Amino acid sequence: MTVREARAQVPGSARRRLFRPRPGDWGVRVGSIAVLLLIWEFLAPGWNPLIIRPPSAIAKAFVELVQNGELQAALVISLRAFVAGLAIAIVIGVFLGIVTGRWRFAYNAFDPLVSALYSVPSVALIPLIGFIFKFQGDAPRVAAVALFCVFPVLINTQQGVRNVDRGLLEVARAFNTSERRLWTDVIIPSSLPFMLAGIRLSIGRGLIGMIVAEFFIGLVGLGYLIIQYGNVFRIDRMFVPVIVVAALGIIFMGLVQWLEGRVAPWLRREQ
Amino acid sequence: MSSERIVVQGAGKHFGAVTVFEGLDLAVRDGETVCILGPSGCGKTTLLRAMHGLVPLDGGRVLVDDTVVSGPRRNVAMVFQHFGLMPWKRVRENVAYGVELAGLPKEAVAERVERYIALVGLKGFERHYPYQLSGGMQQRVGLARALALEPDVLLMDEPFGSLDALTREVLQDELLRIYQGSQGVGNGRKTPPAMVFITHSIEESIALGDRIVVMSARPAQVREILSVDVPRPRTVASVVAHPRFVELRDHCWSLLRERVA
Repeated sequence: MTVREARAQVPGSARRRLFRPRPGDWGVRVGSIAVLLLIWEFLAPGWNPLIIRPPSAIAKAFVELVQNGELQAALVISLRAFVAGLAIAIVIGVFLGIVTGRWRFAYNAFDPLVSALYSVPSVALIPLIGFIFKFQGDAPRVAAVALFCVFPVLINTQQGVRNVDRGLLEVARAFNTSERRLWTDVIIPSSLPFMLAGIRLSIGRGLIGMIVAEFFIGLVGLGYLIIQYGNVFRIDRMFVPVIVVAALGIIFMGLVQWLEGRVAPWLRREQ
Repeated sequence: MSSERIVVQGAGKHFGAVTVFEGLDLAVRDGETVCILGPSGCGKTTLLRAMHGLVPLDGGRVLVDDTVVSGPRRNVAMVFQHFGLMPWKRVRENVAYGVELAGLPKEAVAERVERYIALVGLKGFERHYPYQLSGGMQQRVGLARALALEPDVLLMDEPFGSLDALTREVLQDELLRIYQGSQGVGNGRKTPPAMVFITHSIEESIALGDRIVVMSARPAQVREILSVDVPRPRTVASVVAHPRFVELRDHCWSLLRERVA
């Protein structure tokens, strides 16, 4: 490359993200949570203790629940169903997304069904899932999580497959690509960011599915802890699983983001 | 016989009721660069895509090596205005793309990739992703990907059209250097490949072309075919300084202006 060329500005570089991560970001993030907790701590004593407890009480309850082992036991049960459900949703969602995104027949065959199921609030189907799986074992809760997760993955994957850059498809044709290489070189990598965005969206929904299923089907896991301690007005203990669920959301989102950086490093400029 | 590598006979193309071009004849010889110069929307790109069998013609036919073109051929390579690089592939993998698909053995692919990356001046950037490169460097990758195939025909679809003026001139010089150089386009070949170069820049067509096909606006027809009698080896500067340059440029201008204005 020549110096002249290096100095010339390029259109590509203008597309860098607006907020690039900086070391100070984490300070602000942690700081804002700390401030919130402090305000909460000081205001809480003025409220009815049956409704609001200060963070310090919740922290104490957290330690108690860890010491008697209830939290870990519930977490294992919840997490098992969540991970299994999410995995099933990813497999089904990516597969159906690719198939319906690429072939008109599959699109027409599945689209009405997908639209109908997606429009129905997934919560409304929870009792049905309970019946189908006879309220036994992990299966109904896994199915509930999968149901909550599958649509964002499916619809995003479908969009990704349909949005493949036409220019690149022509490049592939111009270089005599095979159908297999078309998938591995063009279609899959270009829809990968859509798939990952779908998975990110489905994490929040999946956690909802997990908790709701535990409310109505299983009476186990973190959801059951919430119900159980809510019923006896132990607000401090009730908050512990709530916070754990929030933490799970953050951890899984972070995991997907990390994965994105690993499998799709060319996207780092965009988010 | 065929020193004529590409022959276009009576080519016609319609989009609905609109005639893009009709009754178009053209021949490109081995080792010759033909620039197709015309106003925007005159169907230059469509014609080039038809030469590679990417779009079907509505009339006439295209022959490469005396065979009717029905789809992309292995000995023809294309360079795109939008570069057409895969954002998820590094420079090395992008350059390897065409050669791999051509079915060369692994070692041969590696050797060619290395050689053509060096030829376009991208040594040291093998592991970069396209987004880490400037536009000019990205098109160098596009060029290397096509050259690595060591094709008999190079189809250039306004390859420098989206670059800034400075970078464009640098790359025009690079292309001249590579095309004229003994540095290895068409390994073991006596003549360089036949090149068809689409452009709407008069200067570019004079600098690069042995002949210029001046097209008129829609429905596109060949207005005139000019010979660029400027000796090779050329550089952009040497062409611009040549006494014939101004005459050719003014002549092209007058041919184009009749319809553009």
